Amino acid sequence: MNWVGFNTLILREVGRFFSVYRQTVLPGLITSALYIAIFGFTLEQRISEIQGVPYTLFILPGLIMMNTLTNATSNTSSSMLQMKLLQQLPDLLTAPLSGFEISIAYIIGGAVRGMVNGVLVLLLGIVLIGMPVKDPLGTIIFIFLVSWAFSSMGLLLGQLAESWDQLAMMQNFFLTPLSFLGGIFYSIKMLPEWAQTLSFINPIYYMINGIRYTILGVSDSPVSISYTMAIILTISFTISSILLMQSGKKIKQ
Amino acid sequence: MSSPAIEIKGLTKSYGNVHALNGVDIKINEGEFFGLLGPNGAGKTTTINILTGLVFRDKGSTEVFGKDTVNDYRFTRSKIGIAAQEFSVDWFFPIEKLLFFQAGYYGIRKKDAKPTIDKLLARLGLEKKKDARLRQLSGGMKRRFQLAKALVHDPDIIILDEPTAGVDVELRRDLWQYLRDLHYKGKTILLTTHYIEEAELLCENVAIIDEGKILKEGPPKILTQELGTAGISINIGNTNQKLDPYFSEYTYTIEKNRLHFSVKDPDKALPKIIKKLSEADIHINSIDSNRSSLEDVFLNLTGKGINE
Repeated sequence: MNWVGFNTLILREVGRFFSVYRQTVLPGLITSALYIAIFGFTLEQRISEIQGVPYTLFILPGLIMMNTLTNATSNTSSSMLQMKLLQQLPDLLTAPLSGFEISIAYIIGGAVRGMVNGVLVLLLGIVLIGMPVKDPLGTIIFIFLVSWAFSSMGLLLGQLAESWDQLAMMQNFFLTPLSFLGGIFYSIKMLPEWAQTLSFINPIYYMINGIRYTILGVSDSPVSISYTMAIILTISFTISSILLMQSGKKIKQ
Repeated sequence: MSSPAIEIKGLTKSYGNVHALNGVDIKINEGEFFGLLGPNGAGKTTTINILTGLVFRDKGSTEVFGKDTVNDYRFTRSKIGIAAQEFSVDWFFPIEKLLFFQAGYYGIRKKDAKPTIDKLLARLGLEKKKDARLRQLSGGMKRRFQLAKALVHDPDIIILDEPTAGVDVELRRDLWQYLRDLHYKGKTILLTTHYIEEAELLCENVAIIDEGKILKEGPPKILTQELGTAGISINIGNTNQKLDPYFSEYTYTIEKNRLHFSVKDPDKALPKIIKKLSEADIHINSIDSNRSSLEDVFLNLTGKGINE
């Protein structure tokens, strides 16, 4: 194991997104604050409590999750694609680093960004509307698992994509709709039965319910399923992104 | 006997129906300055990309100090520093930081890398630009940065892919001098170029590659002697004397009072010719000699110029 090389790549990946924090950290915070202000405070007057929780509080765990997973995904996917398109990848591929080391370093970089963004929105909720956190440790574990899983997925997408257009397509037509349909703004019990059934095949639904349970103690489905799903996603995306990197199929000729 | 610094045997590579390499064999000994000479698309970059792990090989073997570049990639890559032809673009970090990252990838901690990075920035005239981003550098500076990046881990083998492409004459000469210094310090250098002058001036051995095949290999001087021709023209004062008895072993022509000799090595032939002219009591007004170059050799081997 090339520990110095591995740590250097982690530092690079974390340093990369912190160096442009106006693009990578602040937007999620501002957007979440706007969601709280506009959706929460205006709709809260018209929507009665959901599962015994005021509407603003109800949407906050979903916002944390959305912020966490979109940031984790876009960090690894954009960094990898950027490296491919701007000729930076040869610097890594000609160095004595294994595919495993490169993959895990990338995933850690993306997971850190996901966690930073998730925790900042969590703190925003606590500061802005006094959100109670029922199980702080469970919340952090959930944010961590989702950050890692979606960072790995981003690495997979970044390797597969050949252009920014392809990457944007994957995010806009896949990730964003699944996030919104995962129940950020509603309980799936408010949906017709067919839509509820569809929600059960959306992995992001389980992520949102999991964190909602650890924060508010309410959930549409058992939290154990959410944990299981988060662990399955984490393991499967991690393994597939590492295997693709080790094979070099999309990054070498 | 120690293993060669680089040994490539029977290397082939195809991209779909395009055969980029058709059985390339190259051996470069430790401390050698070796040039891979060929036109664009000849297979130079593919060869070095396979050597450094950027491209998969189809068949053949690639070894660095006796170790396979695929199975023992950590060892072989740690021995090589590569300055790629294409510039990488990184707008997030200043160039000094990028050099620290590069050293880190090779397992060198920041404090250990600092003296080398300071020296490289100073030697390559990048000291004042160390806090600049790559996009703020001129083309020549970017080229020097590529070289600094290749040298940051003090590799035994330096691979330079068209290191002076697109740089002005002054910088080119400065880079040549630096490469000579590195060679003098014992580094093995593999240079790919399509500048004939560069290969002739710097390399101890060159291999001429075209359409994925090595056509000829050897020291530039030997190649030009074998495959090129040089000429000596002598303007003489008196032409009445019969010359054949004196120059029977030479190929020459005479036109008015100008004698033209075709020779392989003008350095060796000229003193002998002068001596013979003196014996024949022929007065010499002036002497011109023109040397054959690798360009002639290339033309001879491929039937086309290197920049075609």
